[in-house]
Amino acid sequence: MAAAHLDQTYHYILSTLVARGQAPHFTEIAAKFGIPAEEGRRRLRELMAERLPNWLFPDTDLIASFAPFNNLPTQYRISVDGEQKWFAQCGLESLAMTWLFPGKRVTVSAPCLDCGEPIRVEIVDGEIERAEPGDIHFYVDLPIKKWFANLPFA
Amino acid sequence: MNLFRSKEHVKKWSGFKPGTEAGILTLADAMRVMSTPRHRDRLRPDYVSTVQESVPAFVQRLLEVSHDSPHWDLRPD
Repeated sequence: MAAAHLDQTYHYILSTLVARGQAPHFTEIAAKFGIPAEEGRRRLRELMAERLPNWLFPDTDLIASFAPFNNLPTQYRISVDGEQKWFAQCGLESLAMTWLFPGKRVTVSAPCLDCGEPIRVEIVDGEIERAEPGDIHFYVDLPIKKWFANLPFA
Repeated sequence: MNLFRSKEHVKKWSGFKPGTEAGILTLADAMRVMSTPRHRDRLRPDYVSTVQESVPAFVQRLLEVSHDSPHWDLRPD
């Protein structure tokens, strides 16, 4: 696939997630670019084969995760200026949401996996403006070189 | 890849693996990791075709934040 098609498909999927909180179906990709549905499916598959932290639900052409978003609910709920309709792929990617909503207050709400008590982080343009509690930490057991071997697990 | 209320909560968590303490970051450091062009520029119309250009800054940021920990080292062996 030409690099331009990869760029266009990626940008359309990410922009759609920003706008509505849900990823587009490949038929919507096809409609967007005025191509047959099968070509939309092919473009989606080729994009998802790139070495990026995105994946399809197994044995389907449905987008499961498209960083920093997850297209299935996770415990990382994302609100933008008070509206909650997004989910983050993981705790780390929840922090990257801020770059997709410039000038807006992005709030990450999640339970602590150890105790179930709430965690809340408010970020505006990459600046953490509020964090409750004040000593939040991130943890991943896998070394970063092993993440791509099994992204959903990582 | 999860957030916890404190470092103590990480270590008490049933999924914590002893010996992987290098995988623990403060919230501020985690934010720094996610603040290089690799993550900032995702809305660029040419993101896929240019993403490789963002790798060196990301690798450097990981090494800075982790104080050169192998846990966060993306450089080829």
